[in-house]
Amino acid sequence: MKRVVTIAAALSLAASFSIAGNVVTAVKVKSLKHLKCGSKLIRKYAKFQKVVVYPQTTVHLNDKKANELNKDAKAKVVEVAAFTDGKNVAIVTRWPDKTKDVYKGYKSDIYPDGFAVQFASDASKPEKLPYIGMGSDGRPVAIYLRKAYGQGVYEPNGNGDVAHQVNEHNTNNFGKNLKKFKKEVKKLGVRPYQKAFVSEGFRSMTEIKDDSANYRTDMHYVKKYHKWGGMVVRPIKDAYAKPAKNEFAVAIAVWDGKELQRDGLKRLSSWIAVKLPGAKNKALEKVVSERVGGDVKKGKELAMTNCASCHRWKGAEMAPMYMAPDLSNIGGQATAAYIKESIVDPNAVVVPGYNRNSHPNFAWYTVDDKGHRTSAMPPFNYLKPQEINDLVAYMQTLKAEVEK
Amino acid sequence: MSKRQLAMVMDLNKCIGCQTCTVACKTQWTNRNGREYMYWNNVETYPGDGYPKKWMELGGGFDAAGDLQPGIIPNIEADYGVPWDYNYESLAEQNLLSDKPEPGFRPDQSPTWGPNWDEDQGDGNFPMDNYFFYLPRICNHCSNPGCLSACPRDAIFKREEDGVVLVDLDRCQGYRYCIAGCPYKKIYFNPKISKSEKCILCFPRIEQGLPPACAQSCVGRIRFVGFLDDEESQVYKLVHKYKVALPLRPDYGTQPNVYYVPPVDTPPKFDENGKIIEGSDRIPMEELEKLFGPAVHDAIKTIKAEREKRKKTGESELMDILIAYQHQDMFRLDHNYYVEVAKKKGMKPLPLVDERYVAGKHTKPSSISHFKVHA
Ligand code: SF4
Ligand code: SF4
Repeated sequence: MKRVVTIAAALSLAASFSIAGNVVTAVKVKSLKHLKCGSKLIRKYAKFQKVVVYPQTTVHLNDKKANELNKDAKAKVVEVAAFTDGKNVAIVTRWPDKTKDVYKGYKSDIYPDGFAVQFASDASKPEKLPYIGMGSDGRPVAIYLRKAYGQGVYEPNGNGDVAHQVNEHNTNNFGKNLKKFKKEVKKLGVRPYQKAFVSEGFRSMTEIKDDSANYRTDMHYVKKYHKWGGMVVRPIKDAYAKPAKNEFAVAIAVWDGKELQRDGLKRLSSWIAVKLPGAKNKALEKVVSERVGGDVKKGKELAMTNCASCHRWKGAEMAPMYMAPDLSNIGGQATAAYIKESIVDPNAVVVPGYNRNSHPNFAWYTVDDKGHRTSAMPPFNYLKPQEINDLVAYMQTLKAEVEK
Repeated sequence: MSKRQLAMVMDLNKCIGCQTCTVACKTQWTNRNGREYMYWNNVETYPGDGYPKKWMELGGGFDAAGDLQPGIIPNIEADYGVPWDYNYESLAEQNLLSDKPEPGFRPDQSPTWGPNWDEDQGDGNFPMDNYFFYLPRICNHCSNPGCLSACPRDAIFKREEDGVVLVDLDRCQGYRYCIAGCPYKKIYFNPKISKSEKCILCFPRIEQGLPPACAQSCVGRIRFVGFLDDEESQVYKLVHKYKVALPLRPDYGTQPNVYYVPPVDTPPKFDENGKIIEGSDRIPMEELEKLFGPAVHDAIKTIKAEREKRKKTGESELMDILIAYQHQDMFRLDHNYYVEVAKKKGMKPLPLVDERYVAGKHTKPSSISHFKVHA
């Protein structure tokens, strides 16, 4: 009997390995210049790899309606592929979304669908990858964001076109001239909603506005399959991210407008290794797909006695809210190396993922004069290596169910 | 906590609901480009659903333990109301001489809601005990702002020098948690630029010697402006000395810096025979308590006592303040203070454009050497 169980467990591990292998091989093409979502090139040559994106539950944000809608959010399977032309790299992704929600420009309480691709700025030390999605102190990420828009988004603050900041009723235009004026305004507004950011942790995310980020995005909805396709093209090497030994670490985030998602309310993958032609190293690949073979049952006991008084996760809800990051999806989003690091050295990455003013009674970190954060969590480095392994193995099981 | 706090007091006994303040603010700051629906200053009829609709039921603010509460983001059409316009163009085009002229002046869309939608409706049975009063509202520039606490991007900040709460439009990415977090719903989403915007307490005016537009234009002279640490300011006297000016909904825990003198005198109720019920008050005390907390009892007592004193002795500083004889006394700005702040930051101080209201504790009379109202 015992044997059967072990085999079954091994099988299920293998199954989850293949789905969340998180390794994508870039296909070499001549040029990416004309690559668009839905291009023939993608249909014909892309090697899509299945990747799971999990709900971001680290912190609870204060939108009542959105929280109700996202309470039992499930994980989604997305597909990721990559291309390179030797100078640029393209990350292509497809994800299911039953409703097409686009930015309409006159609503306050709805949100468009969107996606983002994050590049770890430095992937040379795979055990020390940045905090997933947002980067962390000294471990920056470059983020490319794209949102679905329905009509022109006129951003007068963006391009400083003051002359057109005037309401149509405030212009001297009349009749035909007014029509012309409106057309002009509309023309200025028709542009994709895409942005690039650098980030070293929550709340540090800063938009790159000086044209130093050379990138391009595209997004389109295929009604027949109820799927979005999205694409980010950027240089293989620039000031914000470069490959290490022909490998990138990227992560995918998708937002579902129907669930009022934006910001932290999203689904996020773990780190994915993107291998450019010539990549031979296995280190990054190993880190992003590592499944720790510990004793999950023992790990659970250890977690209940050591972690559950501050952290919450599904099935362990006794800790007060906001005391510490919620671990409900940590197994889906963090690498084993990151979980291990956080257990033995909580100060290595301190997630300032919530506003200390919102819940002043729960300072999960302190900040010194220089802005350096110290975690309120003590290091659990006195645990035996095997215990840490068991703990990590259990943490890796903490993740939302995948949507069918 | 900011070093100093600029504050405003509004005397509800004198607001006549003329909306002059609303217009002054609107034409100055929010008349275009996605701000059309915004009213940084609005005057609503209380009791009523207000603006946005039922704002007091939309959550946000803090609970007794100090934790930020989840809130609801209002809908532009249903809760704020899309501002409508009129068909001026077709009016010009139509042939008024024809036999059947089109009905002329029509709104370009069916109005759904708007600021002061329930104007003068009030509550109670006419004529026995009906009542209402006007409640002008701006951002409270809270000491513990719900909007700031809710922002996951650190895009909202409270100015060190005067506690004005502002949105950094470079950092704001339009997540809108601030709107859910503000229990007064005094921060707005600009759908055209996808960023949040809010009342700035007219800081560019204040810095140059002009009171906020709503305050300066107020016909009822209900608004006092000054720094809370300036004991000579009438704001200080109303809030701290006499304690007759109270924050709105203090139970939301944001520590607002806009204070209200509660309505004190309301007509008595009538009985079935149309006779006055002696000692009765039309505005139920519970309503005032809901709005201003238990301190409202003492505030009203103080005002009534001071009024008696005035009747008997002819003297009462509080009554003199509330009568609001002169703008010069009601507004106490501090130009010199801002000049010092600017210098410290290595910025060029802005010139004074009007010296009439500049008398704050950092500004010695001698430091103003010129008086120029721009042509
Ligand atoms: S009133 Fe609202 S918007 Fe203004 S500071 Fe307070 S919480 Fe922020
Ligand atoms: S201008 Fe003054 S009196 Fe008129 S509505 Fe505004 S606050 Fe009230």
